[in-house]
Amino acid sequence: MGSLRNTLVTLSAMLCLLPAAMAVAQDATPTTSTTPAMDRSINVRPKPTGVTPHTPDGHPDLTGLWNGAGGDLGSLPNQMHNDGIAIESQSSSHDVYSGAKIATWPVTDRKPIDDTEGERAATLLRRVGSNKPIYRPKYWEMVKELDANANEEDPSNNCMPAGIPRGGPPTYIGQFPNYFIFIYPGEGGLIATQTMYRMIPADGRKHTPLADLDGTYTGEGIAHWEGDTLVVDTWGFNTSTWFDQLGGDFHSENMHVVERFHRDGNELTWTATVDDPDVLLEPWTTTPRIQLLNPNPKAILQEVLPCSERELAHAVTKDHH
Amino acid sequence: MLKKANTIRLSLITAVMVFAFQNAQAQTNNGTAGNTTDVSKTVRSVAEALGMARRTNRAGAARLPFIDVINRMEIWGSGTSSDGSRTALKSEYHVALSYNPPAVRMEMTRISQVGGAAPQHTIQTVRDSYAWNESQPGAGLEPGWGTATPAMAAAKQRLLQLWILPYGVVKAAIAAGDKTKLSIENGATENGAAVITYPLSGPLAGVTVKATLDQKNFVTKVETQADNPALVIEADYSDYADHGEALSGVQSPGHILQKQGGEPVLDIQIKNWDGANPYLVFPVPENVKKAAAQEPAKAATTKGL
Repeated sequence: MGSLRNTLVTLSAMLCLLPAAMAVAQDATPTTSTTPAMDRSINVRPKPTGVTPHTPDGHPDLTGLWNGAGGDLGSLPNQMHNDGIAIESQSSSHDVYSGAKIATWPVTDRKPIDDTEGERAATLLRRVGSNKPIYRPKYWEMVKELDANANEEDPSNNCMPAGIPRGGPPTYIGQFPNYFIFIYPGEGGLIATQTMYRMIPADGRKHTPLADLDGTYTGEGIAHWEGDTLVVDTWGFNTSTWFDQLGGDFHSENMHVVERFHRDGNELTWTATVDDPDVLLEPWTTTPRIQLLNPNPKAILQEVLPCSERELAHAVTKDHH
Repeated sequence: MLKKANTIRLSLITAVMVFAFQNAQAQTNNGTAGNTTDVSKTVRSVAEALGMARRTNRAGAARLPFIDVINRMEIWGSGTSSDGSRTALKSEYHVALSYNPPAVRMEMTRISQVGGAAPQHTIQTVRDSYAWNESQPGAGLEPGWGTATPAMAAAKQRLLQLWILPYGVVKAAIAAGDKTKLSIENGATENGAAVITYPLSGPLAGVTVKATLDQKNFVTKVETQADNPALVIEADYSDYADHGEALSGVQSPGHILQKQGGEPVLDIQIKNWDGANPYLVFPVPENVKKAAAQEPAKAATTKGL
């Protein structure tokens, strides 16, 4: 009988601890260079770990492969999947920009979501955040129409570069005494874009006058340090990009972008401020995005699949990305 | 040894009986409230019915919880409305709204059924506690783009429109926390309706909302109680479906009927309900901010609602 009681007690304890054990096991997904995605149950910014290395000239060393969360769009904190919604637990979330609480309900079952439902939910989730650029009123309808018709209108649909700052933070940063190399591997699938690279001088030079520049996708970027923050100041863009991840956020050739990079251990925080008085009422700053350093020191930047043009213009419905 | 075995057996039987009793009680309470037993479950059921509680299966996000995906909406409809007189005027209805920040832009074109009168076109806007009238959307934000006329006294009434919509019911009921109550009207019969009541807060403190649900957990009626008669309103919602031009899975009413003092003030059939967070912004013009600064007591923020 003693053994029966012990068995019952053990069984009860196991049943009680099972959910916790499952949660721990699920959150213990390893992160390596080959991990496709960190399957998170929350998405708040993780606590930074490690020390910030410095270069001989005393600046933080940003060199590295910043895809430590697996490089998947949905797995990063504050990434485009949730448009600035920080999910701190299965029952608590908030809008990063405004701080407003967002109602959150735990996953109570594992019912599969079909692709259509998943796509539609993603469309809503990516737009729910409150941090929106304020366009001049005469452009409000245009922005809305571009977004609603993104299947046809999105300039990155046909394997064109995402541009700056839509490309977000670079996946690879190479830091040299007088310049930086940024690499943005292209994406297949959801956001099919071309690979981009930038060589950004940090030698104290001034910008070329805007009138003398032919607009490009990545513009003329020049870097300098403000304390421990790297500031990349860019102008000289063409008008063939949108500046936010989605939403029809077009810009003029007079767009001026200031990106800020700050390293804290294994975390890189990136923001971009867009100033374009031709179309915006006021400068707009992205919700901060966090990149994690790839913890594998031997990790290399893998070749990505070529971008495939999509026939979205012939899509039957307006369901968009 | 036998005594210990009997004790364990008795404990197990008791546990099973307690579980069975609780389960039976839960099922009794469930009967008329769409299989929900408490406030939070009922509110979640409403959110699910409306397509507000969503998650995606995208790689890396499949284990994230359901979150409220409703922030900005745009609604077009036609029907009749009252301009303050007791006459129902043929109306075109266009509303843009946001919950974060709380804001509404209600554009109404009313056509008099008495011949010859020019259509009335009004744009009534509110954000937080700033209220103003626009000559065109975005008026007053830059030179040459129309005029914005402060209308601070109307702020509460305009904000109330957010919280009497079905989505506002879910958000405000959650925000009210323990003050939100659930009851079954007409007794716990097959036809009994679940009713959620909760107080509003912020600038609408003092207003109590009663929302009635149908068997599918859709909000069918919202009634407010307040000392200020301008904030006492009744709204009926029916014909729920995804009324978006591009389907989003957000369920919205196809018919809205609002009454004040028992008289219809708005009777609208919905043409298009874009619930997919379109680009809608509500910057406050400088002259409106200045007008509000002269009435500091009325310019309190609505944060927390």
